[in-house]
Amino acid sequence: MTEILKKGVLLEAKSGIQASILQFFQDAIEKKLFDAVMLPMKVPSGDSFAWIMIKEQDILKNAQPLAPIMPVNAAKALKRYTRKGKGKYKIAALMKPCEIRATIELTKLNQVHLEDVTLFSYDCVGALPMQDYINNPKIGDEKFSKLLADKNWNSEDVKPVCKICDKFSLSASDLHFALNDQGLILLSNSEKGEKLLTDLNLKAETDLTKWQNYIEEQKAIKLKNREETFEIIKGMVEGFENLTETFANCIGCHNCSSSCPICYCRQCYFDSSVSKPNSDIVMMRAEDRGAVSLPLDRIMFHTGRMAHMSLSCVSCGLCSDACPVNIPVAKIFSYVASQTQKTFEYSAGASVGDVLPMKEYRLDELGELGELVKSAEVQEGNHE
Amino acid sequence: MGLKSRSVMVVGAGIAGIQASLDLAEMGLDVHLVEESATIGGRMPQLDKTFPTNDCSMCILAPKMSECARHPNITIHIKSSVTKVTGNPGDFTAKMVEHAKYVDPVKCVSCGLCEEKCPVKVDDEFDMGLRKRGAISRSFLQSIPSEYTIDKDRCLYLTKGVCRICEKVCPAGAINFEDKDIEIELKVGAVILASGIDAFDPIGFGHFGYKRYPNVVTSLDFERMLSASGPFGGHVLRASDHAEPKSIAFIQCVGSRDESIGHNYCSSACCMFAIKEAIIAKEHMKGLESSIFYMDIRAFGKDFDKYYEKAKGQYGVDFIKSKVSEIRELENGNLSLRHVLENGKIEFAEFDMVVLSVGLQPRKNSVRLAKNLDIKLNEFGFCRSDTFEPLKTSREGIYVCGAMNGPRDIPESVTTASGAVADAVKYLRLDRQEIAEKKIPEKDIVGDRPRIGTFVCHCGINIAGVVDVKDVAEYAKDLPNVEHSEDLMYACSQDCMNTIKQRIEEHGLNRIVIAACTPRTHEPLFREMVSEAGLNPYLFEMANIRDQCSWAHMNEPELATEKSKDLMNMGVAKARELAPLERLPIEINPKALVIGAGLAGMTAAEALADAGHEVFLVEKEAELGGNLRNIYYAFDKDPQELLAEKIKNVSKNKLIHLFKSTKIEKIDGYVGNFVTTLKTEKDEQTLEHGIVIIATGAEEHKTKEYLYGESSRIITQVEFEEMLHNGNFPTKKLKNVVMIQCVGSREEDRMYCSRVCCTKAVKNALTLKKKFPNINTYIAYRDIRTYGFREKYYTELRDLGTMFVHYDLDKKPEITLVDEWDPDSQVNVTIFDPIMDKEVEVKTDLLVLATAIDAKKENIELGKMLKVPLNADGMFMEAHVKLRPVDFATDGVFVAGLAHTPKDIDESMAQAKAAASRALTFLNKKAILAEGTICEVNDSRCTGCGYCEQICAYNAIEVDLEKEIAIVNEALCKGCGACVASCRCAALDLRGFSNEQLFSAFDALEMTNILNN
Repeated sequence: MTEILKKGVLLEAKSGIQASILQFFQDAIEKKLFDAVMLPMKVPSGDSFAWIMIKEQDILKNAQPLAPIMPVNAAKALKRYTRKGKGKYKIAALMKPCEIRATIELTKLNQVHLEDVTLFSYDCVGALPMQDYINNPKIGDEKFSKLLADKNWNSEDVKPVCKICDKFSLSASDLHFALNDQGLILLSNSEKGEKLLTDLNLKAETDLTKWQNYIEEQKAIKLKNREETFEIIKGMVEGFENLTETFANCIGCHNCSSSCPICYCRQCYFDSSVSKPNSDIVMMRAEDRGAVSLPLDRIMFHTGRMAHMSLSCVSCGLCSDACPVNIPVAKIFSYVASQTQKTFEYSAGASVGDVLPMKEYRLDELGELGELVKSAEVQEGNHE
Repeated sequence: MGLKSRSVMVVGAGIAGIQASLDLAEMGLDVHLVEESATIGGRMPQLDKTFPTNDCSMCILAPKMSECARHPNITIHIKSSVTKVTGNPGDFTAKMVEHAKYVDPVKCVSCGLCEEKCPVKVDDEFDMGLRKRGAISRSFLQSIPSEYTIDKDRCLYLTKGVCRICEKVCPAGAINFEDKDIEIELKVGAVILASGIDAFDPIGFGHFGYKRYPNVVTSLDFERMLSASGPFGGHVLRASDHAEPKSIAFIQCVGSRDESIGHNYCSSACCMFAIKEAIIAKEHMKGLESSIFYMDIRAFGKDFDKYYEKAKGQYGVDFIKSKVSEIRELENGNLSLRHVLENGKIEFAEFDMVVLSVGLQPRKNSVRLAKNLDIKLNEFGFCRSDTFEPLKTSREGIYVCGAMNGPRDIPESVTTASGAVADAVKYLRLDRQEIAEKKIPEKDIVGDRPRIGTFVCHCGINIAGVVDVKDVAEYAKDLPNVEHSEDLMYACSQDCMNTIKQRIEEHGLNRIVIAACTPRTHEPLFREMVSEAGLNPYLFEMANIRDQCSWAHMNEPELATEKSKDLMNMGVAKARELAPLERLPIEINPKALVIGAGLAGMTAAEALADAGHEVFLVEKEAELGGNLRNIYYAFDKDPQELLAEKIKNVSKNKLIHLFKSTKIEKIDGYVGNFVTTLKTEKDEQTLEHGIVIIATGAEEHKTKEYLYGESSRIITQVEFEEMLHNGNFPTKKLKNVVMIQCVGSREEDRMYCSRVCCTKAVKNALTLKKKFPNINTYIAYRDIRTYGFREKYYTELRDLGTMFVHYDLDKKPEITLVDEWDPDSQVNVTIFDPIMDKEVEVKTDLLVLATAIDAKKENIELGKMLKVPLNADGMFMEAHVKLRPVDFATDGVFVAGLAHTPKDIDESMAQAKAAASRALTFLNKKAILAEGTICEVNDSRCTGCGYCEQICAYNAIEVDLEKEIAIVNEALCKGCGACVASCRCAALDLRGFSNEQLFSAFDALEMTNILNN
């Protein structure tokens, strides 16, 4: 997509990026291009952020478009609003690229409906770990402002999964705020976005080459980090022994799935009665193995969740923020997702047009498996 | 019409005979399927793969074969031949001889010991002599019936009076040398002939050296070489040195299109199977070069041209338009081909191996059969039938299908088979069938403690040769809830099944596990047995210890035994959770809706009405007839007479309700229970019906090529045919007429052959030539595709002096107007003539364009309404290109005529009858049973994400957007389980394969225990 984008709209950002983006939405509401905007806003206690749907300019001016943390994935917030399909109001929603990806995934799964929504994304420097921020919001805010000002994409302060994220820039949104030396460039990335620029009478005249080059450089660094990290994670989860060890201190709170934007099930299978066998069966298992750990299904839960959602995992890292015992769930799931998505030549949330892996059958898919089948056929033939 | 019988005879049990039998049996008729050889299946089992999908031939046929064998209404008579048919339609007396088999089929357990020990070794016909068989043998592993028979002309005892070794080694005491031929007399209402064809034997073609040069083989020999279950296990090796060939030449038209041997017809299928073999061979052997020597590539069927293009492009098969005149063997066993190119140049080419694409010819016994049945043969010795009655023989009440009345590939054989059934039912008594009452009342076991019986099958040495079967049976005894366990020699033999039933009674068993072969072939049989013992048939589980253990681990017997135990353990664990399942009845409304009243629609409607069903025949135009209205010639027949007759028939038939100038507004419902809204200019009305036949036809492509529309002298073939008929040519002075073929067809955007245009051009040119012998006619073509008996008209036209000029896509003829300003201008045609090797120019008075056949745009809307798919070209896509050519995956919807793919008059009629016949298999039942193993939705878990809806191939799931949950239509669900696997929320479950049942099985394998660590 990056190739076709040549020019963007330069937005004035003298009083900072946050203020500039906010101003953009204030103008858009003023001009009645949207009925409301979905943005993060600091909670009254000052140590976290919440998604709010804002109509009033008075309140809007207090919003903070680029939040230093991600307490709730925006896709989940948007799902609550659009779940029932098309409504009466036109809204704009600003999110991080990973949240856009989650939104796109959920759209394919009928959980989000985008008819009324214009999606905005921005170059994301990463989010700070929740716990760090809650412990000291003031330092957190300072760190984050500095990151933004420095356009530093390789900070040690952000969440581990953000450090290895290479999809931090342009995503499948309608419009994108690019951060560059001059401040802020607004790019349209869809017909909807194009139309909005026209309606706002904004002309795309600023060259993007420099920004694109910078992003590519940052991406390359991140990709390298990512490969190194995945090498370590691989060692932690490959093979049954390693997997059990890595998840040994899981307390089974299922926070990771509750916070996951992709875990959209009404009721998780692992919270249902089916996965709670009676004492006889538990004892039978214990007899078979000498002992059994309780509560049951610790590894089963995680591998089951991987099987269910890894094809749609967008590596937003909320699971790690939610884990009370510091298991690197996000990095593990990100690694597994990278492998499963590679298998199906699929990239979660890249585009609404991409077909969900299980929905299509390609003659040439799973090449190595095809070879196996062929050799098995020959063998069977020999028997017959 | 006199008497009507409930019995019918089908002669020949190839794919056509099998299909005809299944259709008849499903209508509730008693079918006698008579086969001369020792197995049903015909030619298909010999084939490795089938074009254009490369499906394994045996894999797609085997289920139909077992369905045929299991069907209570079908009696199979193998080794039987019909000797005489007397009497009248509706009341025939058929005499036949069932030849001695010398093996008692009830006792034989097909263990194969007899053949192993038989001292006689003769060339095996099934494997084309590439393997030896004994005098006692069976054709192939999956033969049906599976029992062995003795070849009395080869058996030492029966010919010389010595040996009897088989009798001694047979553990079942099944050999019976006293067996005699028996004469059988049957009362039948109609006879369907499907005795098939033979492959041409090239032994008489000395110049090709077949049998003289070991590396020259026929396409059937090659098929066996390619087959993974064939004599070479799928490895193609040259006979001379057992080396893998690096280059293979395929020679087309061996025994076809050859007047010198009286075969002035095209065998229709050989181009495609040569292409298929060339592709498969390339897949088997990396780097192989394959070349096809041909006259015309006749890829005229549905999606065939795409396959041809794929062979050229993706696979790099070399196509050489050249005639091979001689093959010589070189010292290294290679073969030198002397061949003549289009421009007359003679060339030599060397190949490691040569495959002769042998044509199809009438069966050796066809003359005898024709005599016995008192039917006539045509000039080539095929059964004679009429273009407008394509499935009738010369004798009323006897019908023909498959390749017996003309060379035909598999889907067309299947189509004609179903079609012949629709003709035959005229003389048969059809009663709408009730759902059969259960013979034995079912025991209520709900709430009872599981009492499991386990049985382990030896399958002779097939399993027991590797797996310690007794050990497995012993092991099962200690599994929880197992009340009884034993090993059986052949679990599927009648006496063993009786034993199982007895054990169920003795031990009060309420769940059965059988460790044996595959559920694919044996589950239905065992389920039936379980239900005969008074248990719900779903209280049965199978462990496949043959494929998974004795076959997969044949060299590790101990591990195979251990694995068998594991599979048994899992089977028992799952069985513990099994619950009885019901198959819900779905009522069938006996009325039918036929959409489109062209030839196909009218023919289908007539066939359904003849069988006693009310038909709603809906036509959007004001007139009936569709494309047939524009056809005036069919060689010796008059299509307008046919049109008038059909219109008369459908108009006067009281059971057919005609709706002209009417559109389909909406179709709701499912098989047996459709509700359709019709709309005319004035009003709307709703109809209720049980099935739908789509016969919406197709339309002529509107071309912009070749200056069409710029001069009254440039016309389409359809326009030309009308001019021929009315004599209203744009000029009185007709001297030259040029025709251009493939206008719009076989090119990007329309990568398919429109099939009828070559024949149409030949037909119209012949008509013109016969009326005005002095007119010069030229036909510019890419490949002349006058398949089947149409070839003789092509020959005739060539003999009359028509010039055929071949052109390639990159050298299309160039057209200019002689006078650009004259709307009636003559036309200049410039074309490169490969024979003369230079460009030629013709000033023509008429330029006739064979424009393509286009799918109707309305197909898209109709497809959505009926939830049936279209292919990339916008034509309706059948359930299976080979074996279900008129059905859809969605039950109760059928397709016929041009809506399916371009086709000729006889083919449209045959297909319309086939669609009617397939529809009758539903309409003749008062109700059908839905599957027992269907999926169900757990409402509290379902999020309505619709993943399942898009995956379901049968359109059985729909998401209720209001409630946000998926809803399963139990009538349509086939229980494939794809939705269950796709559901991330575990909201779907498949009855009989529920999560609980499967987890229970996994638990038994300690898999979940490991994961619970």
